[in-house]
Amino acid sequence: MNVDALLFALVAGAGIVTALGALMAREVVHTIMWIAVFFITLALTYFLLLAAFLGVLQLAVYAGAVTILLLFAVMVVRKRIFSREAAIGIGAPAVALTFLVAYLMLEMATSVYTSEPGQGYSVADLSRNLFTLNGAWVLALGLVMLSALVGAIYLAHESRGKAIRSEEGA
Amino acid sequence: MIPLDELLGFSGVLFAIGIFGVLTRRNFILLLVSIEIIMNAAILNFIAFAAYSPSGSPSGQSIAVILIGLAATEIAVGLAIVLALNRIIGSVNVAQAMELKL
Amino acid sequence: MVALPYLLPYLPELTLLVATFVVFLLDVAGEHRRTTLGGVSAFFLIVAFVEVLADLGTWPFHALSTLPASWNGTAQGPILFTSLGIVFQGIFLAIAALVAIASLSEAEDPDGTPTFYALLLLASLGMLLVAISGDLILLLLAVEVTGISTYVLVGYTRKDRRALEAAMKFYIIGAFSTTISFFGASLVFGAYGTTSLLAFSQVPSDPSLALVGFAMIAVGLGFKVTLVPFHMWAVDVYDGAPAVVSAYLSAGSKKMGLFALFAIFVGAVRVFDTAGNGYALAIMMGGLAIATMTVGNVLALQQQTMKRMLAYSSISQAGYMLIGLAVNTTPSLSAATLQMVANVLMKGGAFVAVAAAAAIGVGPLITDWKGLGHRRPILSASFAIMLLSMAGIPLTLGFVGKFYLFFSAILAGGLFAILAIVGLLNSAISVFYYARILKHIYMPEETGSPDAHGGTRSLASSTLGSSTSPTDPQPSVAISEFRAMGYARMGVIVACAVLLIALGIYPTPIVTALNAAAHQFVALH
Repeated sequence: MNVDALLFALVAGAGIVTALGALMAREVVHTIMWIAVFFITLALTYFLLLAAFLGVLQLAVYAGAVTILLLFAVMVVRKRIFSREAAIGIGAPAVALTFLVAYLMLEMATSVYTSEPGQGYSVADLSRNLFTLNGAWVLALGLVMLSALVGAIYLAHESRGKAIRSEEGA
Repeated sequence: MIPLDELLGFSGVLFAIGIFGVLTRRNFILLLVSIEIIMNAAILNFIAFAAYSPSGSPSGQSIAVILIGLAATEIAVGLAIVLALNRIIGSVNVAQAMELKL
Repeated sequence: MVALPYLLPYLPELTLLVATFVVFLLDVAGEHRRTTLGGVSAFFLIVAFVEVLADLGTWPFHALSTLPASWNGTAQGPILFTSLGIVFQGIFLAIAALVAIASLSEAEDPDGTPTFYALLLLASLGMLLVAISGDLILLLLAVEVTGISTYVLVGYTRKDRRALEAAMKFYIIGAFSTTISFFGASLVFGAYGTTSLLAFSQVPSDPSLALVGFAMIAVGLGFKVTLVPFHMWAVDVYDGAPAVVSAYLSAGSKKMGLFALFAIFVGAVRVFDTAGNGYALAIMMGGLAIATMTVGNVLALQQQTMKRMLAYSSISQAGYMLIGLAVNTTPSLSAATLQMVANVLMKGGAFVAVAAAAAIGVGPLITDWKGLGHRRPILSASFAIMLLSMAGIPLTLGFVGKFYLFFSAILAGGLFAILAIVGLLNSAISVFYYARILKHIYMPEETGSPDAHGGTRSLASSTLGSSTSPTDPQPSVAISEFRAMGYARMGVIVACAVLLIALGIYPTPIVTALNAAAHQFVALH
């Protein structure tokens, strides 16, 4: 019980610090390092919430794939991006608004109370829920991915080539 | 188990940080990172509400699975647009490409 | 083993999915001509449109004929069939078909053409799913299907820097708005414990959590619908995108966002009126409507280029339609839907007309259209009818829609009358900039704008008559005009103008039908 609370305090603190660090980093590559750690802290939070499958998914997709995608983009278009333009001016209104939003969210959070005990779910329960009751979500996500596939392949390839065409067919 | 209000507080602060990033950054990668921070806050909310679900249904975790997939898909499209733009003008600095005011 | 009766209601969606794969297969087979791909797409879209009409069944659709009887208005898991949703499916398919046909006259582009039609079909499929979703997450995912397709559609001319920059801007705004919507959805999910849209008509266990969540969803969808504090991106994107894509965004994906707002908020606005929260959501919607109408109109007054003017006027039109949701009664929802039908014809047609004018070398500025009324009578007359309809001049469908909308706000009484008054004032303002364009088109030397109206209307009707009647006094002029600007494109423009006038003169059947659909929708949520 107390161990949980202590661990969560550490993980949440690390999460906030790394999120801020990602936005404040001077070099874009450092941003990506920070955000990778941020994704890992959230995965740890999911483990603390007894959502082990989500934690693994977070590590695989976010800390793994998304980070690599971002790093790849930085490498491909690095001509000018390694400059210090990441840390441009911080508008005072933006900071004020941020504090206002954070305050409102915290205020709202403290009003939420639940007497339920927290619970974890087995992967079997989760997949039964996901693929039977809410199967339409999976289908819709499939459509999102299909349109993203068509669009991304079209925008990214230089001209019509056999390799890319066969990829689109698959 | 961690109390629900602390989880919501954590995700609320992350949301605020993400909004701050969207408002102040002009670099495309940083904008994407800010948007991802907000998306992670939303996913955390769903998982937290699922853990405390009165009906004991894992719907919240199902939504989280869907959202993780959605976020990765969205990033892929964004990077494809950046690649196409980079081919023509050779920079992904949003401020240089356009006046993006939020 | 899926029984056929349970698959039948999804026929329009399945048709579009098949159409998408047919386009893929044609692409792989090496077929890149617009006539083939566009023709196939337009054919399947029209087939789906006919299926939707069949779905609506008996007039004015008391029954959805292809549905098992118990399905009408009851949730099937995350799916919810309603008459209003099916009407919107018809609207979405109509604009997609218009765009597919009009794009036949675009320049050949072997690389981009298959992608253009595939994404157009996928975006329309997403819209169809929005119209039948009874679940918040499915609805937002379907919005995202359309979103991702349209980000790429905006930049589908890959060599054009302006279009790509517009795509990038659209992408950032779109991704941000989706994320905000999902964050709001997480709070709503926490408050209600479910994501079913029908549950939102009850008082949640935690109203403040739900209210914050609803506000965030409204902001997220507000970006898609270009409500005013969130509209900045729209003009640059509409301006930078190819004109047919602008037509699709303005007349199609914006209507999808509005329907999503309707589906989520019709129940919630009513609940937060009664739950002792002091009209919180109704005031928010009303305020957004007033801001959107006014700012859109005032900025449209100052525009020098045709596409930017149309973009701003499109923003203000979104404000008029939001009145329907703020008032939140059966007549106001049906009036807002009628206004959307009008908008498909006038905004879709107007952007296509801009594309047609660009094809014959007319520049982007409004002053470049000077004297076009004498050189290109059919295009100018059709465009004039669209502008008059946007301004809300009688005998056009735009007038009917606005009239019912303001009338429904006054009927609701109380503070809602303010919405009607602001709307009327805005309509008066908008006449100025529409009249300025008409003046340029028809009377390059004159300055009297009141005369421009009368002159235009008579000229419009006379030219229109000549273009459709077989005893055309100058057939050669008409044919050469069609040839210069593309038969498909001109066909779409003339059809839009004719429908605007025809439905404007005799709107009774469509109004009755929409009333029936809106009645069911309000009773349900």
